Order: sequence, then structure tokens, then C-alpha cells
Amino acid sequence: MSEVKSLKVETRSGTGTGAARAVRRSGKVPGVVYGNNLDNDLIALDPGELRRNLQKTGFFATLFDLKIGSKTVRVLPKDVQLHPVSDLPLHADFMRISKDSKIHVNVPVQFTNEPLSPGLKRGGVLNVVRHQIELICSPENIPNVIVVDLSGLEIGDSVHISKINLPANVVPAIADRDFTIATIAAPTAMKGDEEKEQAAAQATAGDAAAPAADAAAPAKPTPEKK
Amino acid sequence: MLAPKKTKFRRAHKGRIHGLSRSATSLNFGSFGLKATEPGRVTARQIESARRAITRHMKRLGRIWIRIFPDVPVSVKPAEVRMGGGKGSPEFWVARVKPGRIMFEIDGVPVDLAKRAFELASAKLPVTTRFIARFSEEN
Repeated sequence: MSEVKSLKVETRSGTGTGAARAVRRSGKVPGVVYGNNLDNDLIALDPGELRRNLQKTGFFATLFDLKIGSKTVRVLPKDVQLHPVSDLPLHADFMRISKDSKIHVNVPVQFTNEPLSPGLKRGGVLNVVRHQIELICSPENIPNVIVVDLSGLEIGDSVHISKINLPANVVPAIADRDFTIATIAAPTAMKGDEEKEQAAAQATAGDAAAPAADAAAPAKPTPEKK
Repeated sequence: MLAPKKTKFRRAHKGRIHGLSRSATSLNFGSFGLKATEPGRVTARQIESARRAITRHMKRLGRIWIRIFPDVPVSVKPAEVRMGGGKGSPEFWVARVKPGRIMFEIDGVPVDLAKRAFELASAKLPVTTRFIARFSEEN
């Protein structure tokens, strides 16, 4: 199980856009704590502390203890809204966790043994289809990371969820299919270079045959028929 | 160069670019991205030039995703022509980019190589940009 961290929070009053903006003007990030059939708790967080935690791998799979007033609440981060340009946090959602609840949690994927993959050695690129996997488990059983072993994988091979050894009492949320986690793909740079070289060779051959022909003419929008 | 295969209409209004990007504001494919921080029209030539700069700097490593597409035709009137007589003929294609839009993503390269590749690509683009990396302890 991942360790339980703590976050400093303050309570705030007032719901809605105006109240949230007032909190942001005071230099805090508005947030909400919900779940367990209790009333929502409105909180304000320190932006620096939130960002530091957000930059760590597996923030959304880490349990936090929030001290709201006199009580301590165990929560799981569910969502953080970011500013589209500056990527600063605008709002954070936390869900209360009870011991006997089953929760959906996004656990990050960690890739190991990259040097032991012949495909990657030959210049292939690890194409990560899912950077995190949604799992269903109890709060005590949340894994820190899902480890994916890349040894022996060639270009074109893929890793599916069925190949991963999940801890006991942990099941993937997508149960109806054997979904892909990563593939070893050929690098686009290699493909692009080959295409460019071929195109250049053809263009030079075309120019030599008919100098007037503009082989490298840019694709213009279709002219209007009159 | 990127261009639509077919379009419903041959010419488009010039338009204005208002507001911030509502989509494609976070990394979806790669580990590193180039985010626009101001609005602008990026032409197909500029996209291709930036893509080439990235590819050449990364040599045989890595993978690139282009997350903008030039689907707006821009028309130009011929030189020394009096006003009137209808709209000019379509000459090139542009992508309208709003601030916050991730234009390129790359993966499979070290962070310093990615940064330099995006610096070179940014020099080819008409909008100011910012380098972004997927959140992790390593970065």
C-alpha cells in the first residue's frame, strides 16, 4: 500500500464561482471534499504544496490525511483543474475514503528493463498507450505503481493487462477486454528520414528528366472553377 | 505538408482568435510537449518546418505527434489588382491556435534533447511557446 501523506488545508465559506475566485485572489487554491454520504467540506489549499505533490508520480493514487477543523479526514484526490496556459492548479477535488469501501483509482505504470528489450536497442520507441491504469481495490491495497517488464520485447510487440501480475484483491476497472498498456513502435524519425530520402531521390530524378516540372510544389488549396 | 483532403467550402472568413484553448491543453501521447502561449495562425509550412527541426535534432530517436491541423484556407488577391471583383484565390492553409494548445508532443528522448528540439521548433513558429513535461519526480 502507498504511504498516507498529509496536506495542510483551511476551511472556506461560500460556494460558487465568486467564492472560489475570492479564495484564488487571497493566494489559495479552492477545493472540495465529498463522499461517504456526508455534506461537502469546502477547503482552501496552499498552491505550492499542492503543485509539489502534483508533480510526483502517482498523486491520484496516494491517500492524504486532511485536517479540516478539529477532525482528520482520509481522502483520495479525484481531480485537479489546471489553468490551460500556465498549468497552475485552479481547483482540487478530494473524495472521502472509508476502510471498507472499494474505490476506483488511477495507478501509474512504471516500465523496467528497457536495456533488455531488443526492440528498444534497435531504435524502437516505447509507445505508452496508458500512462496509468484504473484499478478497483480497497484503500489498504492501492499499489504504488504497476511495474511492466519490457525484457525480450521486439519492435511491433505489445504489453497487455493480462501479462501484468496485479497484487491480490486488485482488479482492473476495464474487465471486458484485454487492453493494451504499451507497444514498441518504430521511431517516426527513422520512417520520416527514409521517406524524405526516397522523395528527394525521386525529385532529383524528375528534375533531371524535366527541369520545368515543379516536383516539390506545395499543396495549394484547390482553385475555384469558374 | 498537411492539408485537408477535401473541404465543404473553398474559402473561409479571416476570423478572429478569442479566448483560451479548451482542448489539447495537457499531454496525451508523449512525455514532452510544446504549448502555445499566445493566439496565432500557424501555416502548414511552419508546421512542416518545425516538425523537420524536431526530427533532425532527435536524429533516429523518439516519436513525434502533431496535434494541430491546418484546416483553414487563406486567400490572397493578386498583386496590383483594384479592390472588388470577389475574394482572392486560396493560397495556403493555416491552423488557428489558441493559448494553451499543445502543438507538438515527443517521446522516447531524454529531457535535454527534447528541450533543445522544441527550442529549434519554436523558432519556426509564429507564436510564443512553452516547454512542458509530464509530471514526474524525474522531471
